[in-house]
Amino acid sequence: MATVTSTDVPQGGSGDSHAATDAGRMEQFSYDDSIVRMFAAATIVWGLVATFVGLTVAVLLVLPGISSGLEWINFARLRPLHTNAAIFAFAGNAIFAAVYYSTQRLCKARMWSDALSRIHFWGWQLIIVLAAITLPLGITQSKEYAELEWPIDILIAVIWLFVFGGNFLMTLIHRRERHMYVALWFYIATIVTVALLHIFNNLVVPIGTWASIPIYAGVQDAFMQWWYGHNAVAFFLTTPFLGLMYYFLPKAAERPVFSYRLSIIHFWSLVFIYIWAGPHHLHFTSLPEWASTLGMLFSVMLWMPSWGGMLNGLLTLRGAWHKVATDPVLKFYVVGVTFYGMATFEGPALSVKSINAFTHYTDWTIAHVHAGALGWNGFMAFGMLYWLMPRIFQTKIWNEKLVSLHFWIGTLGILLYIVPIYAAGLMQGWMWRAMDDTGHLMYPDFIETTQSIVPLWWLRVVGGLMYFSGVVMLGVNALMTWLHRPSEYEVPVISAPRLSDEYHAPGKPRQSPLEGVAVLEMSKKIESFAWMGWHRRWERLPVKFTVLVTLAVIVATLFEAIPAFLIRNNVPTIATVKPYTPLELAGRHIYVSEGCYNCHSQQIRPMVSETKRYGEYSKPGEGIYDRPFQWGSRRIGPDLAREGGKQSSFWHWTHFENPENVSPGSVMPSYVHLLTEDMKYDAIAPHVQAAAYLGAEYTDEDLNDTAAVAMRQAERIAAEIVEQGGPAKTYEKQAVALIAYLQRVGIDLFAEETPETAAEGTASEADSEEQTAMGAGDTADDQS
Amino acid sequence: MNTTTPDPTHDADDEHTTGHVYDGIEEFDNPLPGWWKWIFVASIAFCPPYWIYYHGGTPGRSIEETYSVALADNTRLQFEEIGELQPTAETIVKYMYEDSWRRVGSIVFQTHCVSCHGRDGEGKVGPNLTDDVYKNVTHIEDIASVINNGAAAGAMPKWSNRLHPNEVVLVSAYVASLRGMDLDGPRGPEGKTIPPWPELTVSDEDAPADDS
Repeated sequence: MATVTSTDVPQGGSGDSHAATDAGRMEQFSYDDSIVRMFAAATIVWGLVATFVGLTVAVLLVLPGISSGLEWINFARLRPLHTNAAIFAFAGNAIFAAVYYSTQRLCKARMWSDALSRIHFWGWQLIIVLAAITLPLGITQSKEYAELEWPIDILIAVIWLFVFGGNFLMTLIHRRERHMYVALWFYIATIVTVALLHIFNNLVVPIGTWASIPIYAGVQDAFMQWWYGHNAVAFFLTTPFLGLMYYFLPKAAERPVFSYRLSIIHFWSLVFIYIWAGPHHLHFTSLPEWASTLGMLFSVMLWMPSWGGMLNGLLTLRGAWHKVATDPVLKFYVVGVTFYGMATFEGPALSVKSINAFTHYTDWTIAHVHAGALGWNGFMAFGMLYWLMPRIFQTKIWNEKLVSLHFWIGTLGILLYIVPIYAAGLMQGWMWRAMDDTGHLMYPDFIETTQSIVPLWWLRVVGGLMYFSGVVMLGVNALMTWLHRPSEYEVPVISAPRLSDEYHAPGKPRQSPLEGVAVLEMSKKIESFAWMGWHRRWERLPVKFTVLVTLAVIVATLFEAIPAFLIRNNVPTIATVKPYTPLELAGRHIYVSEGCYNCHSQQIRPMVSETKRYGEYSKPGEGIYDRPFQWGSRRIGPDLAREGGKQSSFWHWTHFENPENVSPGSVMPSYVHLLTEDMKYDAIAPHVQAAAYLGAEYTDEDLNDTAAVAMRQAERIAAEIVEQGGPAKTYEKQAVALIAYLQRVGIDLFAEETPETAAEGTASEADSEEQTAMGAGDTADDQS
Repeated sequence: MNTTTPDPTHDADDEHTTGHVYDGIEEFDNPLPGWWKWIFVASIAFCPPYWIYYHGGTPGRSIEETYSVALADNTRLQFEEIGELQPTAETIVKYMYEDSWRRVGSIVFQTHCVSCHGRDGEGKVGPNLTDDVYKNVTHIEDIASVINNGAAAGAMPKWSNRLHPNEVVLVSAYVASLRGMDLDGPRGPEGKTIPPWPELTVSDEDAPADDS
């Protein structure tokens, strides 16, 4: 390697024998490998951080007491840091290392602008550092994998789309290789779609510099969030890694890719189908059923397109299996691609409603994503890094044995992580729904179901520790290899002909095997179409290709999004559902900041075992003032959708002080800081104004005298707390706002039109609301 | 890998490359694997029938309707034997002595009450339910009305729209049966000593067959 010199000359026409006709003036250039070194180093550093924080949150679940008094390291604040670090810092930098290394070589061109490359690098690291600071401080939008607040979001959009995307597209335009290889298609899809997802899921109304509320509410916010969340997995953790695979796997195996045709079919089907599948994260919720069904069906159709990538990876290794036995890089790839196949079979399976009914909210999902993240993303990145190391540091790897050890300890670590967590998911899921033969819950006490899986959580800590130690080995090996680098890197000069403006197809036109055969003209056309010549043309046109990918994802999006936003019946209004009071709004902001959604769902599904445990199932009309929606995705603690009025205010107070006071065996940490920090009544007004701006009705007093209105409600709650045996003056503290919010969650459905009337008749009221919701649901179905 | 030969073959398979070379990477011109293609087609073919089945307008197939049926079945399974109970003294006393139904009451208690009253009713944030003193209860049927309507300025929430009326009766019976266990709780005795619960009036045939 690295000896590519001017002898490497005219491959200009990508290997076809008539290259000369297509070749323009010869040009000399070199590749920018220092940017690859930077991104590779960042990948390793953030890989260490992401896995270390992951290990920390795993420990916090089994020993919740150790964060007590340090709210910055509570599970609910660190878990988003872990996911963001793993996705955007570790996987993100790995993607960039892969893109910068392979794009230059596949295009036979240096990156268009060295300056943009560096702005991209430092801008991205700045984003990560800002995330690492803001998330533990409780600055969050509380939408999974989109937690970062709006100033950081703007920075991400600029760096991603204009700096990275611009530099990439200009490199494509200035390429010296006529056709774009499949890896580049996947990079294009990644850049376009991630930008689209990121921007539209993060449209917010700012409340000051470090807070905001989304322009979407309730059901629609949930729809947008999981359109984003699911496709973040698709276009941040799948397509760029497939691009990575298509370049680095055949390189390492020194084998041709299994099938060009499969590349084309699975690329386009993946890009088109993936975008529809988001609603499968919202089965049995108040999302309209038609959307949920679409999400499921497109997920089922996604199975084979995903496996197309796996096949092209694994079958490329045919004839190279003897190398797999000896080359740790290929070992990483084989395990990585296998986990990709496993996760993409499991994904469609989990999206089937009846299976999802069981697995949703359980640890099964956690095991599923870790099979993908540790197995597929992690191992593909490690394989790439070990392959790159001798090439970018221009010396041999410091310790080959350590690479093998990393592989084995990593593989065992993944298994020891996921197997117990799958078991935990099955176990808790079963306990939640288990009913005895008299129709009653067998495990009515929620904490019992959590306690029974704690031993399995301990095994996860061990598995996580093994995986983490593998990453440490990678770090050490990379550092030592880097220390042995040459005093000056060799920068080979490469020459390749410039592309001529016009393309001349090499050689004679293709002969159809059906030429002269007595078949219908139609058959000849089909044969010619199947030969993929049409696609070959697209591969010469990067701008057109980009436009086509954009169209594929936008059209699919609009098919789902337009009905979700425009059909009124999708969210039937409920007359008794009213906006939150100023104090409740402030309390909701605390709920959001603390990241309560990381452990508590707020969405009761229409299933008997669930409504018996938590109360009446959630209705679409209940969420119209919920910005952001807080449905959650995992029940480490019980659902809170009907929490209002379920416990006394004093109960909440003492529960925040130390959950063990009232719930022995609870894994919730203490939130004593809410009991000691003063409530800032002056800071509530902007929250009310933002909610009012987005259509919630507030009185002039609410808007202009917000602090006084909030204080009055706080004093009422504080008086209740005193009456119930609690301390005095609780209205001074933050907890009182959170209690006000919690006492409000889910009670509007049962409210009378005029409050303060007798309790009689609320049940029938609820029944009739249910009828309305059901009737409207049917109408929506008919329309779709 | 400067493969510019017209027809490069590999490993003597009859596989042909497409002739494309990118930075040394070649591609075979293999067809789509048959099983792959057909499963893909099948997964697409599965969709229209599924859609029509669930969204074709046939009543009874939506999630809400399925739930209503399941809920009715569950209610029947739970309470068919006992019908709709009224929260009267007589009924509550009766179910104190029917073990299988008192167990149902204990499940309701475990689901909703333990976070304040303790796992065994010994009291925590809420009062001890196992001694002879009560705050808001004088007669046994008062237990049901406290559960239905709440008490102590909301310290005891109202449960009337969260629990089935039968559940209220059965959990009342369970709570009544805790009296006399005199467990030690974190709170001292609260309220006043009240007269014992009324005796079980054995009314003809439906006398409980067994026990305590």
